[in-house]
Amino acid sequence: MGGTDLFDIVGSALTAQDARLGAIASNLANVDSVTPPGQQPYRAQEVIFAASPVGDGADDGGDNNDGDATDGVDVTAAVNADLGVQVAGSVETNAPPVTKYDPGSPYADAQGNVTGSNVSQVDQMVDLIDSSNSYAASVAVLQQASRIDQQMLASFQVS
Amino acid sequence: MQVGFLDYYSGVLNVREARAALLANNIANADTPNYKAVDVSFNDALAAQLDANQTGNAPNAASSAAYRATGVVGLNGNDVSLDAERVESAANGEAMLGATSFLRQSTGDLVTALRPNPGGI
Repeated sequence: MGGTDLFDIVGSALTAQDARLGAIASNLANVDSVTPPGQQPYRAQEVIFAASPVGDGADDGGDNNDGDATDGVDVTAAVNADLGVQVAGSVETNAPPVTKYDPGSPYADAQGNVTGSNVSQVDQMVDLIDSSNSYAASVAVLQQASRIDQQMLASFQVS
Repeated sequence: MQVGFLDYYSGVLNVREARAALLANNIANADTPNYKAVDVSFNDALAAQLDANQTGNAPNAASSAAYRATGVVGLNGNDVSLDAERVESAANGEAMLGATSFLRQSTGDLVTALRPNPGGI
């Protein structure tokens, strides 16, 4: 098999989803942030994932060109490489910031408008549900793998 | 040399383990843009594994991995279905347990056969 342990894969998934949940929490916390005139408003952060790079550190010892049907598919290198997911970085969404007419605010500009963040609460909540679903699935795989490991060990126990 | 049951079950467990890693990888990449789900055909992988055992090559259970290409590709170019992967993962794990049980039973019989007869009869 490839060089990566199942627990490493699940760990990378949990780390990545954790970063995403952190970004979502930050976005939701700043949904009502306002900015003084002349400063950059808060923009929603979006975490981008990437599959672990193909061919990086891959010990491609088992590459067989035995002419079977699967040789044309170029996923063998991907499979022999490290599996898992990693955070490629985060981008700021380019939605326009919300402006609100509130001349009484100390942050209002000359026209009486206050610049807020560009966070969409609905988008963030949908992202949150998606992310926690993925997190739960990874945890389920982790629990299942450790249960099966335990049962396999127990079945070989010499009584 | 004929494939003995130890070779056979080592092949089965290797393929199952590689497949468990692939399924976990699919779940890990459920939100990765442009990722496509990867899976191995168990029969092909087992045949390749047994063949590798016969010829003494380095076993490579994942050599027959392929894109599954059955899911719906979403807007971010990802076709992983979390539910499908979890079902596959559970089935794979139970099959692994089953293979282990059979292996345990077979080795138990083997050990019984090898054990010297304590009664001396």
